[in-house]
Parts: sequence; C-alpha cells; structure tokens
Amino acid sequence: MSKGNRTKSPGSAKSRSAREKIKEQQAAARARDKRKRVVTYVTAGAVAVAAVGLGWWYAASTSRSEEATAALAPVTVQADGSVVMAKAGVTAPVVDIYEDFQCPACKEAERVSGPTFKNLAAEGKAKVVYHPITIFSQEPLRSNSVRAGNAVRCIADGKQWMAFHDLLFQNQPPEGVEGFKTDELLQWGKQAGVTAPDFQQCVTSQKNAQAQLDYSKKISDAQKLTHTPTVKLNGTEIDNAVLFSPSQLRDEITEAAK
Amino acid sequence: MAASLPLPNARPAIPWVTTVARLVLGGVLIAAGALKIGNPSDSVVAVKAYQLLPDSIAVPVGHVLPILEIVVGVLLVVGLLTRAAAVIAGLLMVAFVFGIAWAWANGLRIDCGCFGGGGQLGEGQEPTYLLDILRDFGLVLLAAWTVRFPPGRFALDGALGLGGDSADEEEDE
Repeated sequence: MSKGNRTKSPGSAKSRSAREKIKEQQAAARARDKRKRVVTYVTAGAVAVAAVGLGWWYAASTSRSEEATAALAPVTVQADGSVVMAKAGVTAPVVDIYEDFQCPACKEAERVSGPTFKNLAAEGKAKVVYHPITIFSQEPLRSNSVRAGNAVRCIADGKQWMAFHDLLFQNQPPEGVEGFKTDELLQWGKQAGVTAPDFQQCVTSQKNAQAQLDYSKKISDAQKLTHTPTVKLNGTEIDNAVLFSPSQLRDEITEAAK
Repeated sequence: MAASLPLPNARPAIPWVTTVARLVLGGVLIAAGALKIGNPSDSVVAVKAYQLLPDSIAVPVGHVLPILEIVVGVLLVVGLLTRAAAVIAGLLMVAFVFGIAWAWANGLRIDCGCFGGGGQLGEGQEPTYLLDILRDFGLVLLAAWTVRFPPGRFALDGALGLGGDSADEEEDE
C-alpha cells in the first residue's frame, strides 16, 4: 500500500515514508523493549520460583524419615516404666527420649525421627531409652496424657509396648479435645497384640496413674526438663534442628558411638 | 523529598508510600521466614496446631512457608516483580488472618507460629490472637496498596522498566 502511494505523488510520499519509517523504527524499538521486559520479567519470576522450589526441596529432604527396618532391637520394659531398646551388649551411646503422648511436637518427632532411633538400636549403634512422661498441667491435655501413660505402663512385653507406643502417637487427640479414652486404649492394646488378661482392668482402673505422675515429676526434676520432646545423647540435649533431621541425627549419634 | 512538602496534591507521595509499604511488608516476611527456616519440623508442627489442614497437606505447607515468605519478602524489598509479589504476600496474610481467626473461634490455645515457635501454649501463656490478626490485617492493607500502586521508588522494577501503573505514569509525566 505504501509503495503504491509513493509512485502516485512522490513529494508527499517522501515525507510520509520518512514519517512511517520513524514510526516503524519506534514501533520496532517498543517491541524490542517489550520483549526485553518480558524476558526480564520471566527470568526474574523463574529465579524466584526456583528459589522457592529449592528451599522447599531442601526442607523436605532434611526432614525425610528413614524406613524402619523390619526387626526391632530387643525392647525391655523396666520397673520404673522406662523402656530400653538395644541389642544385647550395647550399652553406649545412650539416647534418652523424654516424650509425652499428648504433645504434638513429640508426635512430629516420632513421625520424622522415630524410625531412625529404631534403626540405630537395631544396628547396635545406640541404646535407646524411652521415658513416657506427662508434662502438661492443663486439662484436658493432662488427663489424656495420664490415661495414655497409665495404659502403656500396663504392658510388660517390649514388642507390644513399642507397637502400642506407636499407635498412641499415631492416634494423638487434637488439642483441646478429650481423647485417649479407655475403650480406645483397649482397642489399640488389642491391635498392638496385648493379650495379658489384666490389661483391661489395669487400663480401666488407671492403676498406674499415680506412678506415671510420680515418675514424670521425678524425671523432670532430675533431668531439668522444660519441654517435650527432649532427647539427650549421653546426657546432653540434642538440638531441635538435629532431632528433626534424621540424617543429621544419625550422624550425631553414630559419631558419639566412636 | 516531595512527600515531605505539604502539597495539596498527594500524588507525588504515592510512590513513596508504596516504598514504605514494600519495606515493611517485605521486612516482616523476611523476619518471619528466617526465624522458621532453620527448623522445618517446627513449622510443620505450627501449621498442624491450627488443625485446619489434613496432615498430608500440612507437612508440605510447613516446609514451603518459610522459604516462600523469604523469597516474596526479598522481592518486595528490592521491588522486583512488585505487583506479583504483593499479590502473593496479600494472599498469605489473608490466609494467616483466616487461620488465626479460625483458631480463636474454635477455642484453640496456640501460638500463631508467625515468627517461629508455634504449637500449643503452656500454662500461664495466653494467646495473642487479636494482636496477631490486627498486625496481619494491617499487612494485608499494605499489600493491597502495593498491588494498586506498584512499584514505588527505589524499585528494581522501575530501573528495569518493569513497573506497573505508577512507573508508566512517571514516564508520561
């Protein structure tokens, strides 16, 4: 079209074509600019998304749980209600786990690092001692915790104890709700393989409730516990960031075994 | 400078207000994210404490929140992709306001987990829901302002020609 115009009236066409040329150049410059802007925008966006993705991946990978190996190390329920999980002859390093069945962070610690403790014990790399305590003082958290603590004290067999312990954490009642009810505890006991005839009576009567509270008080004072979960390696508290990072936790405990 | 003059027309102040909004919002996000990023599990526990999301979703949310807050916060502070960052920041804050209100309405006694920590409160600790909500709602307003008037002064968007409305207006003026 512009060519046609040019041949018809050369004078005005010349200035018009110059104008058009400038216009075209401007348009091209604008398009270039726009392209550049789009590229910059997309690049910045991609970098930001990649940063988020990387951080996400890192967070997920530090807290990736180990697979629990099939066979547990022998588990022994002791007279005071603490429970030792260790291969025969393994006496060090000692990992003491102070936890409350009603505490959400303990549930999370068990979810993330529970399998690591079991594996390390099974590999003979640590002697793991569980201390179920009641740390809560407000209701209904306290009663929930005491009922669970009582029930687990009704179990003498180590294997059943561990299965019951795991079930308690998996079924932890939400905050502010009455939970760990007697019939639930009895059912989980059955699920955990408890066959002892006095289990039902022991759970129902809360026979060990006082023992649970006494032990909690005694161990909290002795160990100066301020929060659960507290996990100590040879008597020194393991940092939370390590406790919740299975690979770091394994390294720290394995290091202590040397 | 223009902002300090008692001009009858407030328009010159707008980009400066955006800059302040960006810095406050971005600064809070960076602080909140940085305090949580060292321990992903704390963050997961804090998210779970709200009892709003099923565990399968609460875990990834707990993992991604700290880094998301930091990246969005940095974008806001440097003024890059300002509008998009402000939209995300605003949505985050709306979600936080909703979560805290939900916890409050349901009688949960939790720490909001806004700046690390989180989870249930011990005895003698009282929730600070109202303060948390007011703070986050204020941040929603800052985010809305930034979405409306990006990118403000001292913004990479401006330098790179990526600006929103106000950058175009400045060029036109």
